[in-house]
Amino acid sequence: MRRSRFLPWLGFALGAAYFLLPLIATFEFSLREKRDAYSFLAYANVLNDPNFRATFTYSVTVAIATIIVGIVLIVPAAYFVRLRLPALRPVVEFITLLPLIVPPIILVFGYIRTFNSSSFLPLTNSTTGTNILLTFGYVTLSMPYMYRAVDTGLRAIDVRTLTEAATILGARTPTILMRVIFPNILISVLSGAFLSFAIVIGEFVMASLLNRPAFGPYMQNIGANRAYEPAALAIIAFVVTWGAMGMIQLLARFAPKTSATLVE
Amino acid sequence: MSNNGDIAGISAGAAGPGKPVPAASRPNRIGAALASFGSAGILGVAPFLIFAIIFLIFPTLGLIGGAFVDKAGKLTLQNFIDLTQPTIVDAYIISIKVSAASAVLGALVGLILALAVGRGGLPSWIRSTVMTFSGVASNFAGIPLAFAFLATLGRLGLVTILLRTVFDFDIYRAGFNILSFSGLTITYLYFQIPLMVLIIMPAIDGLRNEWREAAETLGAGSWHYWRHIGLPVLWPSILGTLALLFANSFGAIATAYGLTGSSLNIVPILLYAQIRGDVLHNPNLGAALALGMIVITGLANVLYLVLRARAERWMR
Amino acid sequence: MYKITGQLLSLMAAGLFASTSFSSAASMDDLVAAAKKEGQLTTIALPHDWCGYGDLIAGFKKKYGLTVNELNPDAGSGDEIEAIKANENNKGPQAPDVIDVGLSFGPKAKAAGLLQPYKVSTWDQIPDGAKDADGYWYGDYYGVMSFEVNKDLVKTIPANWSDLLNKDYANAVALAGDPRSSNQAISGVYGAGLAKGGKDGTQIAADGLDFFAKLNKEGNFVPVIGKSATLAQGTTPIIIRWDYLALVDRDNLKGNPPVEVVVPKDGVLAGIYIQAISKYAPHPNAAKLWMEYLYSNDGQIGWLKGYCHPIRFNAMSKAGLLPQDLLAKMPPAENYAKAIFPTLNDQDVAAKAITAKWDSVVGANVK
Repeated sequence: MRRSRFLPWLGFALGAAYFLLPLIATFEFSLREKRDAYSFLAYANVLNDPNFRATFTYSVTVAIATIIVGIVLIVPAAYFVRLRLPALRPVVEFITLLPLIVPPIILVFGYIRTFNSSSFLPLTNSTTGTNILLTFGYVTLSMPYMYRAVDTGLRAIDVRTLTEAATILGARTPTILMRVIFPNILISVLSGAFLSFAIVIGEFVMASLLNRPAFGPYMQNIGANRAYEPAALAIIAFVVTWGAMGMIQLLARFAPKTSATLVE
Repeated sequence: MSNNGDIAGISAGAAGPGKPVPAASRPNRIGAALASFGSAGILGVAPFLIFAIIFLIFPTLGLIGGAFVDKAGKLTLQNFIDLTQPTIVDAYIISIKVSAASAVLGALVGLILALAVGRGGLPSWIRSTVMTFSGVASNFAGIPLAFAFLATLGRLGLVTILLRTVFDFDIYRAGFNILSFSGLTITYLYFQIPLMVLIIMPAIDGLRNEWREAAETLGAGSWHYWRHIGLPVLWPSILGTLALLFANSFGAIATAYGLTGSSLNIVPILLYAQIRGDVLHNPNLGAALALGMIVITGLANVLYLVLRARAERWMR
Repeated sequence: MYKITGQLLSLMAAGLFASTSFSSAASMDDLVAAAKKEGQLTTIALPHDWCGYGDLIAGFKKKYGLTVNELNPDAGSGDEIEAIKANENNKGPQAPDVIDVGLSFGPKAKAAGLLQPYKVSTWDQIPDGAKDADGYWYGDYYGVMSFEVNKDLVKTIPANWSDLLNKDYANAVALAGDPRSSNQAISGVYGAGLAKGGKDGTQIAADGLDFFAKLNKEGNFVPVIGKSATLAQGTTPIIIRWDYLALVDRDNLKGNPPVEVVVPKDGVLAGIYIQAISKYAPHPNAAKLWMEYLYSNDGQIGWLKGYCHPIRFNAMSKAGLLPQDLLAKMPPAENYAKAIFPTLNDQDVAAKAITAKWDSVVGANVK
């Protein structure tokens, strides 16, 4: 069935223009550090900093932890709400919208007040404890996106029939979740993972106030009072995040597939 | 939206109308199946709810509690009375307008883009590129984004200068200004559109090719297909993402701050001025502002639920 | 209004110069030992480019071997107070030991019971108007409001506040913050009001708002928050900000674009920041050592390197302790001779008026 490809190409071209132009403008500005000549001096200044690799590695690790915890918490919740507890759906959806409204600075002060060194669970006393606190903070921040992505994915597949079929064949709930449902919503989970990753890499307030050596505070330190370095940093962060996401996508190709999945 | 009944129906049906099954064991098996599903349901949602209560609700309650007391700690409704100041009411109106505009436009453009890339027959590398890019762009917000748009469409921006030198067209003389409501909406779209694309893509994948073929066999053109099959199926997902886009934009501050800093009045900026500012520092008013935002988000959510319930009525 | 002229300050300083030395060498050693035992110091809101804090922190670490946890360099004064409150029961490295906030926050924080008193050994050289009598907070440095001008884009450099209203500066003038929440931006408005010669806070605030209303009407005001990047890119070729920040920016840009820092002749506003130790500081001895370091000659000169006027400027200048090469890099001293230091009362009254009326007077319209 041949359909005209003109409109899709036009849509893609217009979209590409809108998204690429600001990046080009930022890139062009970042090259202007040397007067009268384009150069990569701003990039050299940023990348030569020894903290770049350390903080980026730290943030990537925390991002992966955030994604895993997020999946473990949200996929079962979304599944059971859709299948068994539809009455809870409005409540859960409202909860997942809250992190978009409550300022992260409120959250982090709340965490410090609740889990400080004199409380019942002194997480802030140790590095590991603070790392856990930061990860949970990020899971909270990425909750809206992860939930909405997984929910949309669950809607697109026939959850009830799949569950019934698997149950009749003798599968128990964990098996159903891991081997039947999860592979079918892999694209949605990937979308949620992408969004969580981007959030963690760029986040600044929580990491800084919890005194953790993350990429966000590093970028702030380098770029706060400079002219050209922030633009270079924005481009670098963009490229590097893209690379990391490309790798996540690559790894997803090795995940179990079913014939119904359109995984690229 | 029944579920228990269906399970019972299927299990009973599988036994077949003619096959004799011991009457006593049938309800027991069904009962056992039901019991395990019901309890597993709560168990499955419990970790999420417990997490949300400790790490989200609890700190938020702390914030909200502050709205009902004054600086000395006494109970008062003064903060809510303060909310009716014209500056604050204006801020809420502008916030709602910007959020609604960027949500609706973002959803529309995002849907079109996702359709073009997902079902337009374009090469597959375009799809994976767009998905990855959307992931990165969805969080490209704040001062870098504001600066990027100033460097593109500002008075000395790349595109502005290009249009002026090559096409002799000055967009600023024509009335455009990046430092305005429309400028802010255009900037917000940069992270709203990718968000829509990322989240709606699985739903678009769920549009079976067979439906399209069946429709065309029956003589339906493109318009008919979308009007009666495509859009209705997608509609609940679109609504859900609209709610997300609205809340996303409503709570965004860093981009607005970097772009229109001291001239724009949106609620998050006022909130931050109260909580973090060097001067005003009335955290209780800030808490009242936050509570107002939560209420408005709740109302938007209710609207979404009502619309979705009506859209889902014809679906199982 | 209370003018601290150069002569008055040096008079006080000359009389007190004799008591510069530490109260006793032994107690200083005890302090260092106690601080080393604590092992770390937690600071907040100290960007490395602000008043040379980058070098000061590095110098402190080298001299005493302590670790320094630097929280949120982007924080405003309000954030610092909130951080103290939130960390009341927390002894971990997220609790700030010391804060550096705007002048009006000193009395507020003291009244809220968030500070602990400490008088550094050079206490007497700090002017009375710039410190709390009981030692809860004390001025650290000051600067004056200036114009940071991008010479590539601005051909005629403005010399006065009134110059900014000329047609030459269409779409050119910006503040360095949001006047509804940033101390620096509010001071910018106040500085503009000073040029009219009003006598008290209310009048000056009204004059300042009036000036910006005119600036906006002429089309000269750009509501974007001015930063180094927007100055270089061209959206905000003229930024009204503290002179020390403008001077550091000029150095960092290295002539690309060339920047001129102008102190307007018709209204020179000085702004003081203050230091304080948190009542709940997990490392109180390290905090006290940090204060001793900052108020020692080395510390004060460190601030001078960042183009900030240290609070002991006049005393040290009289004693010839200020390096000549640093003084040469500073703007001419006549600018500072005319500087006006507003009283706490004037500042509070003006801040309230400006934050409340900014939207209506400047017409924060969004089209």
